[in-house]
Amino acid sequence: MKRKAAAETKRTKRKPLAARKAAQRKNDRDAIDALVAAGAQALGITLDPSWESGVKFNLQLILGHAARVDEFVLPDDAEPAPIFRA
Amino acid sequence: MLDTPASDFDFAGAADIAAAVASGRFSAVSVAEATLRRIRERDPVLNSFTAVTEQRALLRAEALDATRARGEPLGPLAGVPFAVKNLFDVAGLPTLAGSKINRDLPPATRDAVLIERLEAAGAVLIGALNMGEYAYDFTGENIHDGPSRNPHDHDRMTGGSSGGSGAAVGGGLVPFCLGSDTNGSIRVPSSLCGIFGLKPTYGRLSRARTFPFVSSLDHLGPFARSARDLALAYDAMQGFDAEDPACAERPVEPVEPLLQRGSDGLRVAVAGGYFKCNSGETCHAIDRVAAALGANRDIEIPQAERARSAAFIVTASEGASLHLGRLRTRAHDFDPAVRDRLIAGALTPAALVVKAQKFRRWYREQVIELFDEVDAILAPATPCTAPLIGQKTFMFGDTELPVRANLGLYTQPISFIGLPVVAVPVPLAPLPIGVQIIAAPWREDIALRLAHALEVEGIVAAMRPAM
Repeated sequence: MKRKAAAETKRTKRKPLAARKAAQRKNDRDAIDALVAAGAQALGITLDPSWESGVKFNLQLILGHAARVDEFVLPDDAEPAPIFRA
Repeated sequence: MLDTPASDFDFAGAADIAAAVASGRFSAVSVAEATLRRIRERDPVLNSFTAVTEQRALLRAEALDATRARGEPLGPLAGVPFAVKNLFDVAGLPTLAGSKINRDLPPATRDAVLIERLEAAGAVLIGALNMGEYAYDFTGENIHDGPSRNPHDHDRMTGGSSGGSGAAVGGGLVPFCLGSDTNGSIRVPSSLCGIFGLKPTYGRLSRARTFPFVSSLDHLGPFARSARDLALAYDAMQGFDAEDPACAERPVEPVEPLLQRGSDGLRVAVAGGYFKCNSGETCHAIDRVAAALGANRDIEIPQAERARSAAFIVTASEGASLHLGRLRTRAHDFDPAVRDRLIAGALTPAALVVKAQKFRRWYREQVIELFDEVDAILAPATPCTAPLIGQKTFMFGDTELPVRANLGLYTQPISFIGLPVVAVPVPLAPLPIGVQIIAAPWREDIALRLAHALEVEGIVAAMRPAM
């Protein structure tokens, strides 16, 4: 049984890079679809189906920028600056 | 001093007009009438005005002439016509903020604070200006009012969101005007239209009675065709105002008297790294300004690209929060490009927005330290000269980027921490392009002194477009 599981893992590891990237992109798309549908419902925004591609494009853009900020490590005592003084 | 008839002063500056009115060479009424005539002649092409306050302007000008006739002193902007982006409250007009939805608002009952201050200095409000919907725009295009058009090439963008402001000043309709800048909306149109623009320090000028966009990042400021006119308008608008919670309790610090000090003793560097120029005209403009100011060293603004990303997130989220009710009830009445961005902003997880605000404080502390070494930093204002109206992408080096989201890629990391900036126009052919002069907080005087020195040397200038 263990040997069979290990073989499965090896086969997964051997999956071509392009295929893994395609799978990741599909997962990302699914996540965006779910976030848009659930978020719009929770906020009471009625989405016309013709807007969905534009909203998803922009949300992906925002989340791309957000990932760049999120990967930056800040100390736990970092203060936000919502009331900002230059 | 002007020595031309009032009908031919259309590219004259605010300082010259005020001197001519104060001396009696022109009446304020003749200046207002000539301005109104010019708007009627040229604005059908430039599309910069959404409202012209003709009766109000003439009454105001008559009152100024009467004041002078009584021998009473006039203000430093006596008789100078100006206009405002249509997100400023103007008594008697609905505050459109570039939208269809706001046309249903009742007319404003009182002017914005900055209009009141300018009129107290003698200026004459002449109208309200076109802008990108709800200021979420870098192009100057507006689906409801049509695009404002670049005075140097009418097929090209003004830049936005203060597009009408860029067209009206660049096209010689008014000597100065007001706009707003959340991520670059003063500096981008200044660059593409070839004029001067001042984005003061965050909290310097009151935003009371203007339609907001992103409270954390919103600034107001002037456009003009000279550094001196920027300084005159800016000086007249300074001062604490309790009606704007972000307005700082700073004393009025007049800059116009300091302009003659020039660049002597000021240490200037060029922003490297993220800001390193990427196209021919951008590099040419920076090189020319840097050489004139003796800026022979580069300085790295740390994490500038991340700062731009953080500004992007804060803008999307706060902008969406502002418009959430309208997105629920009137989503069909938005410009589709703005609506889709706002809805996406509403869906941005809050934890990421707070992280961006925390990063903002960290980034500010790093950048402030740079001003121990230098007094001012130069950076490009836009990554290209004016794109064609309707153009969707532009080449950034070898990369093709969307226009709407990226015209402000050099301005966003700076306004994100509220630094004062003067955008100066480098008159390249066939189209101008701007350079940002960035100073430490509250040091608008340094940026304006450098802008004035460059103008005196003939390095920067607002060129008169072919009419």
